[in-house]
Amino acid sequence: MTTMNRRTLLGGVGGALALTAVPVSVNAQAATFRIGALNPVTGAGSPYGSGMQKMILAAVEEVNAAGGAGGRRIEVFAEDSQTSPQAAVLAAKKLIEVNNVRAIVGTWSSGVSLAVVPLTNDANILLLNTSGAPALSVPPANAKGLSYRFQATNDRFGRAFAEIATREGFKRAATMAFNNASGIGNTNGFKRAWEAKGNRVVAEVVYEPNQPSYRAELQRVLAARPDVIVMGSFLPDTTIILREWFQSGENTRWIIPGWAANPQLIQALGAQVTEGIISVDSVSNERAPSFAHFDQVHRRAMNQPGASNVYAAMTWDMVITLALAMEAAGPNADMAAINAKMREVANPPGEEVYTFAAGKAALAAGRAINYQGASSVLDFDQFGDVTPDFGVFFITKGQLERRYVVSI
Amino acid sequence: MEAYLAAIAAIALIYVLLSLGLTLHYGLTGLINFGHVGFFCIGAYAAAILSTTGGMPIVVGFVAAAVLAGLAAWPIGLVSLRLRDDYFAIVTLGFSETVRLVVTSERWLTNGVQGIPGIPRLFEGLGVGMPSALAILGVLLAVNAAAVWLFFRLVKSPFGRMIEAIRDNEEAVRALGKDPARFKIRVLMLGAALAGIAGAFYAHYIGYIVPDQFIPLVTFYVWMAIIMGGVGRISGAIVGSLLLMLFLEGSRFLRDVVPFISAVDMASVRIGAVGLALVLFTLYRPQGLMGDYTRR
Amino acid sequence: MVFWIELLIAGLVSGLVIGLVALSITLVFGIARFPNAATGDTMTLGAYGALAGHAATGSMLIGGAIGALGGAAVGLAAYALVFRRLSNRSTVALLVASIGIGFIIRAGLSLAFGHTQQVFQVPLVRPWRFQGVRIHPNDLRLAATAIASLAVVFATLYLTPIGRRMRAVADDPALARVSGISPVRVMVALWLLAGAVAAVAGVILGLRTVVSPEMGWEMLLPGFAAAILGGIGNPAGAVVAGLIIGIAQEMATPVVGFTYKIALSFVVMLVVLLVRPRGLFGRVEGVR
Repeated sequence: MTTMNRRTLLGGVGGALALTAVPVSVNAQAATFRIGALNPVTGAGSPYGSGMQKMILAAVEEVNAAGGAGGRRIEVFAEDSQTSPQAAVLAAKKLIEVNNVRAIVGTWSSGVSLAVVPLTNDANILLLNTSGAPALSVPPANAKGLSYRFQATNDRFGRAFAEIATREGFKRAATMAFNNASGIGNTNGFKRAWEAKGNRVVAEVVYEPNQPSYRAELQRVLAARPDVIVMGSFLPDTTIILREWFQSGENTRWIIPGWAANPQLIQALGAQVTEGIISVDSVSNERAPSFAHFDQVHRRAMNQPGASNVYAAMTWDMVITLALAMEAAGPNADMAAINAKMREVANPPGEEVYTFAAGKAALAAGRAINYQGASSVLDFDQFGDVTPDFGVFFITKGQLERRYVVSI
Repeated sequence: MEAYLAAIAAIALIYVLLSLGLTLHYGLTGLINFGHVGFFCIGAYAAAILSTTGGMPIVVGFVAAAVLAGLAAWPIGLVSLRLRDDYFAIVTLGFSETVRLVVTSERWLTNGVQGIPGIPRLFEGLGVGMPSALAILGVLLAVNAAAVWLFFRLVKSPFGRMIEAIRDNEEAVRALGKDPARFKIRVLMLGAALAGIAGAFYAHYIGYIVPDQFIPLVTFYVWMAIIMGGVGRISGAIVGSLLLMLFLEGSRFLRDVVPFISAVDMASVRIGAVGLALVLFTLYRPQGLMGDYTRR
Repeated sequence: MVFWIELLIAGLVSGLVIGLVALSITLVFGIARFPNAATGDTMTLGAYGALAGHAATGSMLIGGAIGALGGAAVGLAAYALVFRRLSNRSTVALLVASIGIGFIIRAGLSLAFGHTQQVFQVPLVRPWRFQGVRIHPNDLRLAATAIASLAVVFATLYLTPIGRRMRAVADDPALARVSGISPVRVMVALWLLAGAVAAVAGVILGLRTVVSPEMGWEMLLPGFAAAILGGIGNPAGAVVAGLIIGIAQEMATPVVGFTYKIALSFVVMLVVLLVRPRGLFGRVEGVR
C-alpha cells in the first residue's frame, strides 16, 4: 500500500494528488520528510563514517529546531553501508522501500555510490555522495541529474597536486597510490596534469593495503631519487609508510591528500616526522561562519576538531543544502521541485548565507540565496560536482598551517 | 516493502546456491573448501565482462560463469587428492585470495580496482519495480530448484552412492577397485559451477562489481549457513541460508527498534555473533538445525 | 647491491614476525592437531594489551609483558571453554570453532577499542649507515625481542620437563598417554605458550605498523604458509620458514610486483605441499 502511494507520488503527479491518495497517515506524512543516512560506519571508511552520521543527525536537529524545511520536519533513518556495495544495496533498498526516504545522504567510496545510484534513480530520489570516481558525474550513473557530489573528484585533487608541485618548484615527482579507485584516481590525475606541464614522473608505485611493511614499495620509489612523493593514500597506510620513510633517513618532501595527512596522522607520528609535509584539502571554508559553526557542533558531538573529518563537513552541508532547497521549493513540494532548487540555493547569485536559519529567513524575505558550506563554497556544475578551491597546508611543529589556496 | 523483501529474497537465493555448492563439496564428499568465494568471483567476473565489454547476451555470460568456475576447480581437485583435509582447507583459502589478487591486478581484463560498473540488470525490458523483481526471483527459484533436483539425482545415482561411500570410507572404495579421485574432482567441479552461476546472478543483480566484494568473509558466511542448517542436507543448506540473511538483515531493524546501539557497535556485534554461532553450533549441535546427514 | 641488501634486512624483520606466528600455529598443529585460525586474532589481542599496558605504565617492557599475558590467557580460555570439549571431534570441527573464536575476539576488541587505528607512542629515529646500507635501530630492537622470545620458547620446549612431555605428545599421543603423561597439563602448557607467542608477534607487528582490529587476521595466511613450509609440528622449521617467506616476499617484489607479492606465500605453500608435503624439515605426514 505504501509503495503504491509513493509510486503515485513520484510518478510526477505532485503533492496535491498525493494528499488525496494517502488517506490515513496524511498528516504525519506531510509533516515529515524522511532521509536516509547511508554512511561507512564500518569497513574501510570507518574512520569517517560515525562522524558523518552524527553530523547528519546534528544538522537535521538544527533544521528542525529552526521550524523545519518547507513546513516539514526532517526525519533520519541511519544505516551502515559497511563500505561494501552489497551491504549498501540492501541498506538502500530498505531505506527506499521500508522507510520511504526521499534522499540518501552521505555515501562514501565510489564502489558504494556506483552500486546505490541505480536504485535512487529508479525511485526518483536524490543521492548526495562524497565519492571521487569520475563515472558518477555522467550517465548512466547521473542520467537523471539526481546525484550530487560534495567532494572534489579524485581527478581534481590530482590536478591540484600538480599545481602545488609546480609552485613549490619540484622537478622529480614520484607517486605512491593505495590500490583502489580513489588512490589511483588521485595519482593518475596528478600524472596527467604534471606531464601536461612538461614534467616527468620518475617512479610510480601502487601498493596493496594491510601490509605488515611497505619498505620494498618505499625503496622502489626512493631509488629514483625523487624530490617529492605524491600520495593517493589513506590514514593507516600513510602512517606506516611515513614511519618507515623517516627511519630510512631520506629527506624527500610529501604531498598528501587531507584525509590522510590530518591531525590524527600528526598525533600518531609526532611533530618531527611530519614536519614539512604538504597536506592538500578542498578548502573547508574555515573562514566562513558556516565552518566555525560546524566545527563547534562537531567538537561537541565527536570531541574532535571539525577539520579532522572533511567528510563530516560534507554531510553537514548535504543536509543544510537539501533543507534550503526544500524551503525554497515550498510546502509539500515533490522531489522534482526540490531537485530543481538545489543549484539555486547553493550557487551564485544570491545573498551569501551560512546557516539554515539565515537562509530560511532570507528566502522568507523573498531574496535569492547562495549557501556557503562548511566543506566548500558549494557551487554545483552541470554534472552536480563541486569544484572547490584547494587549501595547501604545511605541517609545521605539529600544526597544520595553511599557506595558500590554489584554484583549478 | 515488497521490493525490499524481494531484494532480500534474491540475495538469500544467491546464498542458497552457494550453500548447495558447498554442501556438495563438504557435506557429500568431505572436501573442506575454504575458497568458495573464489569460484563465486570467477563467475561474477565472467558474466560481467562478457555482458559489458564482451557485448554478449546475458545467457552466454551465465554459461561461461558456470563453465569457467567449474574448470577452475579442476586443478584444485587434482591438488586435493594429494592433501590432508586441513591442508586442503588452507590451500583453497589461498586459492580464493589469489583469485582476488588476479582480478585486482589484471586491469586490462577486469578494470582492476575501479571495478565493472553498469552490468545490465536482468529483465530490464520489464521496467523497474515488481514485475522485473518477480521475474528475477522466478529465475533464481528455478535455478535453485534445478540445482536441488540435480543434487537428488546425484545422491540417488550410483555416482552419488559412490560419493557417500568415499566420504564414509575411502579405503573400502579403493579396495573395491573404484577410483575415488575422479569422483571427487567431478563433485568439486559441479559445486564450483553452482558457485559460478551464483556469481553471475550476483553481478547482474548488484550491477557493479569490484574485487573488494570477494573477500574470505563471504566463504565463512556460507560455512556458517551450512553449519547452522545441517551439513550435508539440502534442507540444511536452504534453512541455513535463510537464517543467515535473517541474521545479516535483521540487525538493521534491531537498530531502528533499539536506537542506542550505534552502528559501529552493531558491526562488531554482528561479527561476534557469527563467531558465537560457529562455536556454539560446533559444540552443541554439530548436526545443525535440520539434523544429521546420515539420516537423510 | 645496497638496494638488495636493504630488502634482505627488511625481509628478515618481517620474517621474524611471520616466524613467530608460524611457531604458534605449528605448536598447536603438532600437539592439538588442528590449524588454529584464532592465531591471528590472538596477535591482535596481544597488540591491544601492550598498547593499554604501555599507556598505563609508560614502559614498553611492561606493556609487552601484559600483551603476552593477555595472549596466554586467551589461549588458555579458548582451550578450557571450547577446544577441550572438541578433542574427540574431527579436525574440521576444531578449525571451524577456532574461526569462531577469532571472530569473537575481534568483535570484543573492536567494541572495547573502536575501529580507528591506534599507534604506539614510541620515538622514531633516523637510521645508522654502514657502507651505505641503512640499519634501523628500532628494527634491531624488535629483532632482539623476537629472538629473545624464540629463545624462551625453545628453552621451554627442550630444557624443561613439561617441554619434553609436549614433544612426546607431538610425536605420538598414544604412546605419551600410556607412559603416564597427563594430556591436560600438556595442553594447558601448550595453550599458554602458543597464546603468548602469537601475542608477542602481534606486539612487534603493532610496533612496526599500526594497531587495528583486523591486523592479525591479515597475517594468518603467511603464518600458515610458513608452518607448512617448515614442516607441521616442527618449531625450528616454522621459524626458518617464516624467515624464508619474509625474505622471499620482499626480494621478489621487483620481479613480480607489489600486488602479487601477497600471493607468493600461497604459491610457496602449494609447491611445498605438492612436492614435499613433509615441509623442508618436517616429519609429520602430509599425505593421506
